[in-house]
Amino acid sequence: MSDRVLEHRLSPAFPKVRMISESITNMVGFVVLGILFWLDFYFAWPTWAFWILIGLVLFNIVGTIYSLIEPFYFYQSWSYQFNEEYLQLCYGILRKEWVIVPMTKIQSVTTTQGPIMKTYHMRSIKVETMGSSHTIPALEEEVALSLRQTLAKYAKLKEVDEA
Amino acid sequence: MRYHPLTMVFQIYQLVKNSFLIALFLFVIKRDSAFWLFEYGRYVFVIAMLLSLVYIVVSWIVEKYEWKDQTFYIYKGIFVKHTSIIPFSKVQNVTKKTTFFHKVIGLTSLTLETAMDGNDDAIRFPVLSKEKADYLVELVQSGDHPQNIEEVSSETAESTQQKQEAADRVIHFTPSRNDLWRASFTSLSFLAIIPIVLGLIENIGPLLPDTDLFEGIFQVLLDNKGLLVGVIVLTAMLAAGFGVVRTFIRYGKYEISSNSTHIFIDRGVLDESSFMIEKEKIQGLEMHQTWLKRIFGLVEVKLISSANTDNKDGSVSVNSLYPFLPLNKAYQLIEEVLPIYQLNNELQRLPKQALWLKLCRPSWIWILATIGLGIFKPNFLQIQQAWWILSLVILFVIILHRILDYMHTRYAVTSDQVQWWHGGLTSRMFITKRKKVIELTYSQTRLQKYFQVASITTVNRSNPPHMETLDDIPVEYGQAIENWYLKRQEDVLLEKNL
Repeated sequence: MSDRVLEHRLSPAFPKVRMISESITNMVGFVVLGILFWLDFYFAWPTWAFWILIGLVLFNIVGTIYSLIEPFYFYQSWSYQFNEEYLQLCYGILRKEWVIVPMTKIQSVTTTQGPIMKTYHMRSIKVETMGSSHTIPALEEEVALSLRQTLAKYAKLKEVDEA
Repeated sequence: MRYHPLTMVFQIYQLVKNSFLIALFLFVIKRDSAFWLFEYGRYVFVIAMLLSLVYIVVSWIVEKYEWKDQTFYIYKGIFVKHTSIIPFSKVQNVTKKTTFFHKVIGLTSLTLETAMDGNDDAIRFPVLSKEKADYLVELVQSGDHPQNIEEVSSETAESTQQKQEAADRVIHFTPSRNDLWRASFTSLSFLAIIPIVLGLIENIGPLLPDTDLFEGIFQVLLDNKGLLVGVIVLTAMLAAGFGVVRTFIRYGKYEISSNSTHIFIDRGVLDESSFMIEKEKIQGLEMHQTWLKRIFGLVEVKLISSANTDNKDGSVSVNSLYPFLPLNKAYQLIEEVLPIYQLNNELQRLPKQALWLKLCRPSWIWILATIGLGIFKPNFLQIQQAWWILSLVILFVIILHRILDYMHTRYAVTSDQVQWWHGGLTSRMFITKRKKVIELTYSQTRLQKYFQVASITTVNRSNPPHMETLDDIPVEYGQAIENWYLKRQEDVLLEKNL
C-alpha cells in the first residue's frame, strides 16, 4: 500500500547534496565542540559541564552516522505529481504523508538555491498555500524552473467563493 | 471622514483603565519608596500619560476613513502614514459591540473583520453612532456580492430575490429559563468566584491594618464546628448565586436568527454585542462537548470562519452559536440555519484493530512524566511512593482517554461533505464541505501500516488555519476520502474573468 508512488521524483543527485550539506553541519558541530573542550580545559569548568560536552559529542556522532544513511531513504520516500487541478506530494520515512493541494489555493511559488545546490545545478521549490507551505527539496534546475512556471499558470485560476 | 469625536473620550477612558493599577502602585502603595525604579518610574509614568493624551488627540485629527466603489480606504498613523484599502467583499464578519461605556453615551462600536492576519486584520470603529453603524453594516452587506460572482448564470436570478428576502429575519433560538439554569451549572461558573476572591484578598490584603485579625477569625472558626459548617454552606450558596447571576448576564439575552444569506447572533445584558456573518463565508462547523456537558446532554456549536475570531478579552467567543445547546436542539438549529449541511445519523465506527492500535501506541507524555517523576520523586502529601502512584494515575487517564476516543470516533463522507466525531474526555464533531477544504493529507505511520489503518487531516481556511485529524480509519476508507477530495472540482465554480 505505501508503495503507492507519484509520477515524478527528486533529482537523483539529491542524496549526495544532502549528505554533503549535512556533513558540513556536523563538521561545524565538531569544531564548536572542540573549542568548548579547550575552554573547559583552560578555565577548569565544573565536572558536570564536561559530561554534558561528552553527551553532545555522542549525540553528534550518532547524527553524523544517521546523516550518511538518511538521505537515501529520504530520496526514496519523496515523489510528487501535478496536473491542472492538484499538486500532490508524497514524503516521509517513518510517517508517510500524501498531501493534496488544489492549484486554486496556491498563493505563491518560490525557488531557492544554496551554494552546494548550485554546484549540482539544483533548486528547491517552496509552495505557499492559504493554510501552510510545502517545500520540494531538490529538483534539477530546468525542471524546477518549468515547474514554477506551470504552477504559477495553474494557480492563477480563482474560485468563486474565495474572499 | 474623521472618526466620531467621542472616540477620543473612549481612548482616554481605556488609557485610564489600563494604567490605573500602575498608578495605584506607583503613587499609593509605594508612595514612600525611594527606590530608583519607583522614583523615576513616577516621572516616566506622568510623561507617558501626557504623550499618550497628545497622541490620542493628534491621531484623531489625522486618522480618517472613507469608502467609494465598494471599497474602504483607511488612513492611519501620525509619523508613518499607513493606508489600507479593503474591498467590502473581503469583510468576513461584522461585530457590533455596545459595552457599558457605550450605553452611557448612547453610542456603539463596530468591527469589520477580514481574513488577513497582522495588525490591520480588521476595520475598527471604537465609537460611532448607532445609525452610522447600521448604515455601514448595510453597506457591507449589500457589497458582499461583487460583480464577477453574478456572472455565474444561475445566481443572477437569485440575487434580486435574495435582496427581498434579506429583510425578513427568522429567530431560531432564544434560551429558555431552563436552559439557563442548566448552563449555570455545566459551565462551572460558580467556580469563577474563587479567582475573584483570591484576587480581592491579594489586592486588599496589604492595605488592611494587620493580618492577625484574619488569623484570629480563622482560629475561632476552627474551634467552632457549627459555625464552620455555616460559613461553608453560606460560601457555597454565595458562589452558586454568583455563578447563576454571571450566567444569566452572559447568556441571558441571546438570540440566534438568520435570513437567506446571513446569520445573526445578538447577546448580552450589560455589554451587548451583535455578530453577523454571511452563510457562504462559513468554512465549517464544530460541536464541542465536555464530559460535564455530555452528562447534561448539552453541546456547544461553533462556526469556523476565515476571520480571526480569537477572544482576546476573555469574553464569549464570537463564533460560538450558543455554548449550552441541548443536543437535539443543536442538530435542529443547524438544519434550520444552514440547510446545506446535512447532519448524518448513520456514522461509521472505527474497526476493532483501531482500538488495539490506540492502546499500543507509545505515550510520550506518560514516558516523560514517569521519567521526570522517577528522577525527582516529589513527596506529595507525605507519601513516599507518591511518584509511581502518580505515574499510574496518568497512565490510567491516558488509557481511559484513548478508549473513549475509540468509542467516540464516528465518521461519514457523503457526496460533498465530510463529518466526524472524535475526542476522549471532550468529544468534538467537525463538519465541512468539500469545496471548503483547502488541503487534505493522508498519512500513515509504521504502526498504522501494521494495523492496516491511516489518518486523514483536513485544513480549512481560518486564522490560524483550522486543522482537523481523523485518526486510525481503515486504509480503504482513507483512500476513498482521498479520491473523494480529488473530485473536488465538481463542487467548485471558477471565476470566469481570469
